[in-house]
Amino acid sequence: MKKKILVANRGEIAIRIMRAIQELDYDAVAVYETPDKDSRHIRLASEAVLLGDGPRCDYLNIEKIIKAAKRTGACAIHPGYGFLAENPDFAKACEEAGIIFIGPTSEVISNLGNKVIARRIMAEAGIPMVPGTSNLSAGEDGVQEALSFAAQYGYPIMLKATCGGGGRGIRLIESNEQMRKEIPVARSEAKAAFNDDSVYLEKVVVNPKHVEVQIIADKAGTTIHLGTRDCSIQRRNQKLIEIAPSMIGNKELLEEICQTAVKAAKASNYTNAGTVEFLIDKDYKFYFMEINTRVQVEHTVTEMITGIDIVRTQIKLALGKPLSFTQNDIQLRGHAIEMRINAEDPQADFMPEGGKTVSVYRSPGGYGVRLDGFVYQGYTIPQVYDSLLVKLTVHGFSWNETVSRLRRCLKNFDISGPKTTIPFYLNIVDDPDFIKGDFNTSFLDTHPQLFEYKETANEAEKLSKLIAEIHHRGTNPYAF
Amino acid sequence: MERIIQGTAPSEVVAQLRKADGYYITNTARDLSQSDFKNRILLHTDMLAAPSRERAGYFSLEITGGASVHVDILRKQVDPFLKLELLREKMPNTMFQTLCRGVNLFGYRPYPQNVIRFTVREFAKYVDVWRTFDFMNHIPNMQAVFEEVGKAGKINEPCICFSTGPEHTDDFYVKKVQAILDVTGTDIILCIKNHGGLGSPQRIGQLVNAIKQSYPDLPIHYHGHNTDGNDIGRIAAAVINGAKIIDAGDSSMTGYYGPPPSLTVIQTLKELGYTAVGIDEDAVIETSEVIRDQRQYYAAFESQIKGFQPTVQIHKLPGGAMGSSLEQAAKGGFLDKMPDILHKELPRVQKELGNYWSVTPGSQILWTTAVANVLGGERYGNPSGDLRNLLLGKYGPFPFYQPEEWIYEKVLGADWQKVLKEEGGMDEIEDIDLDRERSNLNAKIGHEATDQQLVLYLQHPNDAVNFFQFEEKFGQVYVLPPSIFLHQGKFNVGTNLSFTDHYGKEHVIEVGPSLVNGDGESNVYLNVDHHQRIFSFAPEAKAGAAAAATVLTKEEIQALNKSGDIRAPFAGNICEISVKEGQEVAAGDQVAMMEAMKMQTPVVSAIAGIVTTISVKVGDALKPGAKIAKVDIDE
Repeated sequence: MKKKILVANRGEIAIRIMRAIQELDYDAVAVYETPDKDSRHIRLASEAVLLGDGPRCDYLNIEKIIKAAKRTGACAIHPGYGFLAENPDFAKACEEAGIIFIGPTSEVISNLGNKVIARRIMAEAGIPMVPGTSNLSAGEDGVQEALSFAAQYGYPIMLKATCGGGGRGIRLIESNEQMRKEIPVARSEAKAAFNDDSVYLEKVVVNPKHVEVQIIADKAGTTIHLGTRDCSIQRRNQKLIEIAPSMIGNKELLEEICQTAVKAAKASNYTNAGTVEFLIDKDYKFYFMEINTRVQVEHTVTEMITGIDIVRTQIKLALGKPLSFTQNDIQLRGHAIEMRINAEDPQADFMPEGGKTVSVYRSPGGYGVRLDGFVYQGYTIPQVYDSLLVKLTVHGFSWNETVSRLRRCLKNFDISGPKTTIPFYLNIVDDPDFIKGDFNTSFLDTHPQLFEYKETANEAEKLSKLIAEIHHRGTNPYAF
Repeated sequence: MERIIQGTAPSEVVAQLRKADGYYITNTARDLSQSDFKNRILLHTDMLAAPSRERAGYFSLEITGGASVHVDILRKQVDPFLKLELLREKMPNTMFQTLCRGVNLFGYRPYPQNVIRFTVREFAKYVDVWRTFDFMNHIPNMQAVFEEVGKAGKINEPCICFSTGPEHTDDFYVKKVQAILDVTGTDIILCIKNHGGLGSPQRIGQLVNAIKQSYPDLPIHYHGHNTDGNDIGRIAAAVINGAKIIDAGDSSMTGYYGPPPSLTVIQTLKELGYTAVGIDEDAVIETSEVIRDQRQYYAAFESQIKGFQPTVQIHKLPGGAMGSSLEQAAKGGFLDKMPDILHKELPRVQKELGNYWSVTPGSQILWTTAVANVLGGERYGNPSGDLRNLLLGKYGPFPFYQPEEWIYEKVLGADWQKVLKEEGGMDEIEDIDLDRERSNLNAKIGHEATDQQLVLYLQHPNDAVNFFQFEEKFGQVYVLPPSIFLHQGKFNVGTNLSFTDHYGKEHVIEVGPSLVNGDGESNVYLNVDHHQRIFSFAPEAKAGAAAAATVLTKEEIQALNKSGDIRAPFAGNICEISVKEGQEVAAGDQVAMMEAMKMQTPVVSAIAGIVTTISVKVGDALKPGAKIAKVDIDE
């Protein structure tokens, strides 16, 4: 019997993982919640297990997922990103149930998921870090620690939940008064969200570039990197556009960052694929931020420029195989850009467009174009999950070629029903700073004109609207 | 002899006409469309005809002006400027001609001088020959247009409007020609505008001869209508007596009230020894063949009554107004009253109102007055606002004699002499603030308006804004043939509709099923360029509900009005709301202005009180008995 691997996720990443599973000639098992019953990831799997009515809680239910794996005889689980991907309890439950968890060990996830432990490990390894505190003490003592940190490093300062991540549980503090006010609020929020009210402080790097390094490590301790990615273009700390490699011209600096990432991974006994995130300030000093112990949404750009299938590699490593390539085998070729096509209205503060039906879905194709999506014509976007419809990744030999390919692909997209981020992205690809490769995390704030666009329909759409009306009414109300 | 090429200087054109051995032909496609197809011939059809019309060698193509500018944006959903631009690309050598109503431009009421000049300047970028008239032959009403046409380096073709009757003598018209030449100078073409197709061939021959005797160097353009079937006779008489240009249309589209077929004119005059200068007969024939198939799609706009109307010599309605008048009679359910209206009341009203020229907007005043006189019982009992203006002399002085005093009394009231003294005479219409109008328009359409858009807005504010919004929503729809744009009924499932869009991309649309869902919402499925699209339409109010609503009689409407419930007295559009909610009104105060058949009629409150509700907005189309406003008696 073929080996089965269960994918404990939904949407595009579930499909991405299933493709790798199928290429390895294993069977893919899907899980789903009721609102996802029409999702394409179910159709692609050999088997699918309904976890419950959800929403979200069943995808987060460790017990149900382990049970689904056991019932279907899956030998391994790939968690994707989000949901249980960085939950050490889930990794641990897999280990205890004799199921392979495709990712690092629960201990590594636990250590790196705890920002304070992670910072301590990195400090010991001599990794440069943004000045920060350990967990603040409870009560007034903690506030005093915070105020003296502020006195030493100055505002702005980021107040972070120790167990937070992915942009959640962080707030910007700009004064002592605000610090006093926000610490208890942050604590109670962290308690509610992560069941842990620990918080700590970090000096804010103003308008940094966000650069991260893809690393891969096997169980024998071989750790290599797959180059950098720039994820600076974000909204509300959520990435929208990712670019590989970083557009920083200083190659020695990028090499130094990559070597630092490898060192950080080794220091934390990392295995499988992971991402080391750095902030780079305006003087090109870089600071360790965190290690994400999962496959990233934006892993596609790295795959495009290295030719390495990261998810396939993840599975092979988890099944105990050693790395089949060395650092010297890794060549970075050209540029890749990924845009997350979301069902959101950028002009309404990225309001999600869930609940709408995709009445038309036509996607671009051709040389250097990759699509990782899961929607289809007639699909109604569930309101209870995220708004990502499809990731458009383009690859080109030069940066200019890549940007023009990206522009062409965005124009070739034809999605009707929900509003999408496409018209907004079309503005971005025409922006002179973007074309120069000059952006940091303040990009959207400093380029408000990107939000000025009109929803345009092409002539065929407009004329067919009139023809539909003539047909519907049996006469042309604008002519008679 | 050669055809005249577009771009030739006006003085050159006039010189060439003077020495022409033969006559030129203007293809009056616009007048044909207006007279016989309620102005609906689409740009699509004119584009099909353009290559052969270009080769046919006409003096000009009359393709804009009259009511067409308004209908272009209101019912054809095409930009009148874009239309000219696109036709110019296909017809580089043919001059374009317009019909301009002097101070009334392409509308029905006088415009401010700065609007007139701005409009003429913008249209003169495309239009070479400017046929300008005034329905009272009051020359000052045309002066601003003459000046702007001259400044733009285009050709002035002032008209003398023609009619019949004891007052309409050669002597009168020759003096009018002198009055025109006094203003314009001699480098013009003079048009004899026979909009009704009135008079016999002999009468037209005499008139042309009389003008020719006095002004041998003045090129005369005879414009006629074939309403009685005899315009070819008049054209022949005009040419024999020295007219240098005549009007005719493409035979496959000619009907009853527009121009006669050009080929028949050419054949008739050839035997009489007169050559159609520059004309390629094969191209004339080809044009008719090219557009013949299109005629079937315009059937809905052809006259309700078929056949020629020799009685036009009695009722004198202009060809351009025949179609719309008959349509109104058919819609209003008084087609059976037409013999009375046309043959008895109209000639009577004409005589009573001074025997002026029955052409826009004067023809509409005569028509609405005659209709009201026959349908309303009491003659002049329900005068339109425009009739009032006519009597007050707002359009200019009566050319021959004034109506009798009893008519003034009926229309202006018992103290008519005082009213006439205080309000009579032509108004100085103040210039409007164009910058302010431009910013109003910008605000309405949400972006910077072009000069052309402003021109259209100044002519028809509501309709222009609706049109700009239509364009944004539906694109350039002139690319759709009449078989689609004017389609009646549903398309058959599986029908393939193909067209090339404004930018040159070809599209094919396959009609799929229409499904109604549980909420009554209709979903129309179309395969657009091989991809399915769904168009949803909200459920419409049940047809039965409207049909079940009782139709109020005239008496009931009046009775309601007396209780403060002001209803529409007839079918028409609200063009002005004269009061605000909460405003005090006296009995007889105007509450709103309604427009039907281009004529405005005030709606007045029968009682004094306070306006509590206004149920309409400007632009609303009302059925008789529809609610307009409520007035509560102030206690």
